[in-house]
Amino acid sequence: MRTKQTRRVVARSGARANARVLDRVAARFAVAATLAVGVSVAAAATPAVAQVTSGSDPEHELIFSWDRWLDSDELNERMEIMAEQWPEFLTLETIGQSWGGRDLKMMTINNPATGDELDKAAMFIESNVHGNEIQGGEVVIYTIWYLMENYDRIPEIRRLVDERVFYLIPSVNPDGRDWFMDETGSGGRTGHVPVDSDGDGLFDEDGPNDLNGNGVIEQIRKYVPGQGDFIIDPDNANGLRPVGPNERGDYILLGSEGLDDDGDGRVNEDPPGGYDPNRNYASDWQPNYVQGGSMNYPFELPEARAIEDFMVTKPNIAGSQSFHNTGGMILRGPGAAWYGDYPQADVRVYNELGENGERILPWYNYYVVWQGLYAVHGGQLDWANDGHGAVGFSNELWNGGQYYQSPLLREQQQDEDSPIGGGRGSYFFDDYVTFGRNYVEWAPFDHPVYGEVEMGGFRKLQGRVNPRFMSMELFHRNMAFTLYQADEMPLMQMGEAEVERVSGNTFRVRVPIRNDRLMPTILVRARQYNTVRPDILTLEGAEVLMAGWVDEHNFDGTVDRIDQAELDRILVRSGAPGRTTRWIEYLVQGSGSVTIEYSSQKGGTVSTTVNLN
Amino acid sequence: MVRALAAGIAVMIGFATAATTVEAQQGYQTYDQMTDAIQGIVGDSDVASVTSIGQSREGRDIWLITLADDGDLPAEDRPGVLMVGTLSGDLVSGSSISVGAVEWLIDQNGSNEEVTRLLSRNVVYVVPRLNPDGAEEFFGDVEWGRRGNAWDEDDDNDARMGEDGPNDLNGDGAITVMRVPDRSGDLILHPDDPRFMKEADPSAGESGTHRLYIEGTDDDGDGFIAEDGPGGVDLDRNFQHAYPYWEADAGRHMVSEPESRAIMDFLVERVNIAAMLTFGHSDNLVVPPNGQGNLDAPRTFDLIDWAAASNDGVFDVGVFPGQTNFGNLRQRGAQPGANNPPEQGQRPVMTFNGQDRPYFEAVSEAYREITGIERTGYNREAEGALFQFGYFQYGIPSFSTQGWGLPEAEGETFEQRYLNAMEAEGLDTWIEWQPFDHPTLGAVEIGGFYPNRTVGPPPAALPGLGAPHGEFIARLGGMLPNVRFVEATAEAIGGGLWKVDAVVENTGYFPTTIAHGQRNGAVDPTLVQIQIDADDIVSGDAKTARTNRIEGSGATAGYSWIIQGSAGQTIEITSRAMKGGRDTITVTLGGDR
Repeated sequence: MRTKQTRRVVARSGARANARVLDRVAARFAVAATLAVGVSVAAAATPAVAQVTSGSDPEHELIFSWDRWLDSDELNERMEIMAEQWPEFLTLETIGQSWGGRDLKMMTINNPATGDELDKAAMFIESNVHGNEIQGGEVVIYTIWYLMENYDRIPEIRRLVDERVFYLIPSVNPDGRDWFMDETGSGGRTGHVPVDSDGDGLFDEDGPNDLNGNGVIEQIRKYVPGQGDFIIDPDNANGLRPVGPNERGDYILLGSEGLDDDGDGRVNEDPPGGYDPNRNYASDWQPNYVQGGSMNYPFELPEARAIEDFMVTKPNIAGSQSFHNTGGMILRGPGAAWYGDYPQADVRVYNELGENGERILPWYNYYVVWQGLYAVHGGQLDWANDGHGAVGFSNELWNGGQYYQSPLLREQQQDEDSPIGGGRGSYFFDDYVTFGRNYVEWAPFDHPVYGEVEMGGFRKLQGRVNPRFMSMELFHRNMAFTLYQADEMPLMQMGEAEVERVSGNTFRVRVPIRNDRLMPTILVRARQYNTVRPDILTLEGAEVLMAGWVDEHNFDGTVDRIDQAELDRILVRSGAPGRTTRWIEYLVQGSGSVTIEYSSQKGGTVSTTVNLN
Repeated sequence: MVRALAAGIAVMIGFATAATTVEAQQGYQTYDQMTDAIQGIVGDSDVASVTSIGQSREGRDIWLITLADDGDLPAEDRPGVLMVGTLSGDLVSGSSISVGAVEWLIDQNGSNEEVTRLLSRNVVYVVPRLNPDGAEEFFGDVEWGRRGNAWDEDDDNDARMGEDGPNDLNGDGAITVMRVPDRSGDLILHPDDPRFMKEADPSAGESGTHRLYIEGTDDDGDGFIAEDGPGGVDLDRNFQHAYPYWEADAGRHMVSEPESRAIMDFLVERVNIAAMLTFGHSDNLVVPPNGQGNLDAPRTFDLIDWAAASNDGVFDVGVFPGQTNFGNLRQRGAQPGANNPPEQGQRPVMTFNGQDRPYFEAVSEAYREITGIERTGYNREAEGALFQFGYFQYGIPSFSTQGWGLPEAEGETFEQRYLNAMEAEGLDTWIEWQPFDHPTLGAVEIGGFYPNRTVGPPPAALPGLGAPHGEFIARLGGMLPNVRFVEATAEAIGGGLWKVDAVVENTGYFPTTIAHGQRNGAVDPTLVQIQIDADDIVSGDAKTARTNRIEGSGATAGYSWIIQGSAGQTIEITSRAMKGGRDTITVTLGGDR
């Protein structure tokens, strides 16, 4: 069983406070604190803390630590604390359960004072579909926290929160996360629906075993002088390297720490899970022999299904981000080239966002999944785009190049004879920057199957997860990219109408309809697949004789007549393009007030009322 | 027996006279009638049980009948056959045939050798009606050929749900088609048979005189007729192979419906299912896959297709020019990264494997021989069909049929041949064109095929179809792989070592996996495992030996281990063939050398 050495340090104060003091207060209160007490900490702590009224940088309302990784309980606890702290904006829901019965928690950020949730474009942000790709969970927590803390401080943040809705899920694979965080974490990518990985009719019956009880699944090597494939790197006692053409090796590698649990003669051949939860989405889903780990059908996995069941109730979702690691990438679909690239107009929207993303996120590259990374069938990205008509990105958090960022050190890494070249860089970094925290020294072990061996190697957090002290920049810049994307979601506006009497009770009415953001209300692909409802332009209060788009507003020129049977309810299947204003012209007969409304699922609904006189 | 059926439907109808009382009730059955019939047949039979694998959207139980008598293995370890009826709502006949087959199998158990072996060695799973909600529509006042389930779909994506369905304008109880004189149309009356239409051929001096529409009015005033009827997902277009993406009757995505999920979860759980038969709109049973691995060409009704095509333009309305303003700054596009070639990776197999073809031909021959069915009528292109999943993804022999045959008849087009055949059999499938004064189109004619009578057998034929399909299931079950130990021996070779040999045999007709099931990895290799400590195996096969494929018809596979042990020790060897059962054999280490 897992025991926590220290309680999480969570503190809050209604006013400005001294963070150091608060930390101590919170820690003291936290010793016996349950989650429920987390709330009372605030009540108790506030009077105990000296109010800080000086200082140029005001203290936060909620003080979270950002330099440790959280399991799913801790993520959920932070979500609950924030939901209580900012109830006017935040709503915390459980949208389903994982296979292992863990809640899938989803936070809505919405300012009800600026409109109903479904009338505003929403940004959907999820993370951690691969159990070992944990950082995105913290990015999600940071994003909620940052938006709330700064709502009153930064006008741009206030505007964004007022204009938009956010749906955020810190972990869509909490079973995988907790396996990675609280257990050994070996083979952490999968979810935990049992799968018969070795085809013997049994499920998950032979996973790795922590033989020496140190909480780490290590690598096993055996010393076989002169008969192995590896030798110890003469310049790095901890490192093994493959033998060259004329060398003889002293070691063989025997895989991960484990036993033949099911007595079939093989070791670790049917570990927990054994699939890829991000191949279980419904666009270009492919069977296992084409796309490994896809399971038997789309949304078979309870987690993917819960997310889909949630998303279909939110047609206002116009943007999507799915955080992964690793490699420093801003990925767009399609996942496979032969499924067909996105239409050119959609690609250009992605390009502008992706290229600016590279500027917001140094060390990150904007790629198309199949071209820049590898082919993915049935991933979340494609389903967000194709199934929901939302512009979808997936960021691969953390680039290993960030260990040695300067041009000088990058050059040295390429130098075989440098202490950080020849594959020695990660050892050097761990020795001198993280003080050996990420490494288990090789040590002898008497293995029941392999005999005298040695076990050791890097711990699970090495490599794919950034060092803790580098988290803040990663969190903030990735959040900044999603906020930029959210800001470029469609936003419909209607300008002032012009009314002109043509004769008698016949009037010409012109109204400017504007979307001044980058994204259109309907992607071309969404129109082709009919996955988004068309925009609908209605006129109430008079009879419409004719309607059309004004070619050139400044001239009394021609109008592109709209050839539809119902001119008081015009379907706009192609939506409102980005950064454009279009004028609609009606010829109407009637008197009194007339209301013109433009309704879109992803850019809101706007209307204006004019008087015919 | 039913083998006399070569003459087609007339003979099938003849069976009705010989039917038992229960059979006589097996015409087209409502859900309640079918449920009663199942209860009556299964009753307190000790070889049959009825359970529910899930609920339809409207909450009807999806019945599963399991047939298994006592046998060596628990039912879930035996090679199984799955039969599924009524995936599409207009094929209610599939339920009747399935239930009839169940009745026949129960009745024959104990007397018919093939059936007796089937129920003791194998297990039969029958889901007679996967789409109970769609099937209920079949019994409504107006016949309109609904195939989907109870899901609501905005077919024309105009934010109005089901607002413009077909209308029975002339009150004849059927939705047919309207033909309208219109010089902008591209159809003319067929010169040889003016009941039908043909496309005008300008190069032959013809010019269009008519348009076709679905019988109805423009209820929502959008300029289209019957473009958004009550929705529904046709379940036999909702599965994972060759799925018709983004089509309204195929669902929001693969396996989107509770009914599809129910059968899919059942298949996933019952990995012993080794063959499948569905009753659907596509056929691969009367006509097996050809030399290129493709199914028989589709055959559809032009009148119905052309009428439906009158709504093709619905998605073009409201598409306006104009696009996002990207400004003047340079756009580079995504970086190449790994710069993988576009053709990287595997692609799904879309044709039947040539190695599997002889097996499909043999099954087809058996089916035709047993049922007397020689040719099929309407044949839909299989897209997202369950039987295609069965072969291409689940990796087993998997079949689809409408369960009846079309007699031979003259005619230039399929619909002409079809109508001539029906008329020759005295079956009423056609409504003559009648003039009608349409509110917006003016003078039109309404007529054409009864929508529910263009597919599947007529009710009078149904009672005679249960028995031959029961017999076919028994034959198919007898073909399934059946892997058993032939022998196991142990020979002392000195020094405390023994050589242990074991041989298994596949007494079925099918190999332990068809070629595609091996190719796609859906069928596990056959495992033979010697139950001793792995450390005691000195040489030879692995403790768990894996054999990808053991041919049928008595082919064997041998395994050999050198082990250390002691005289008198009894060693157990087990086998597991995913689609061919389990077995155990023991061998005692002798002491004679």
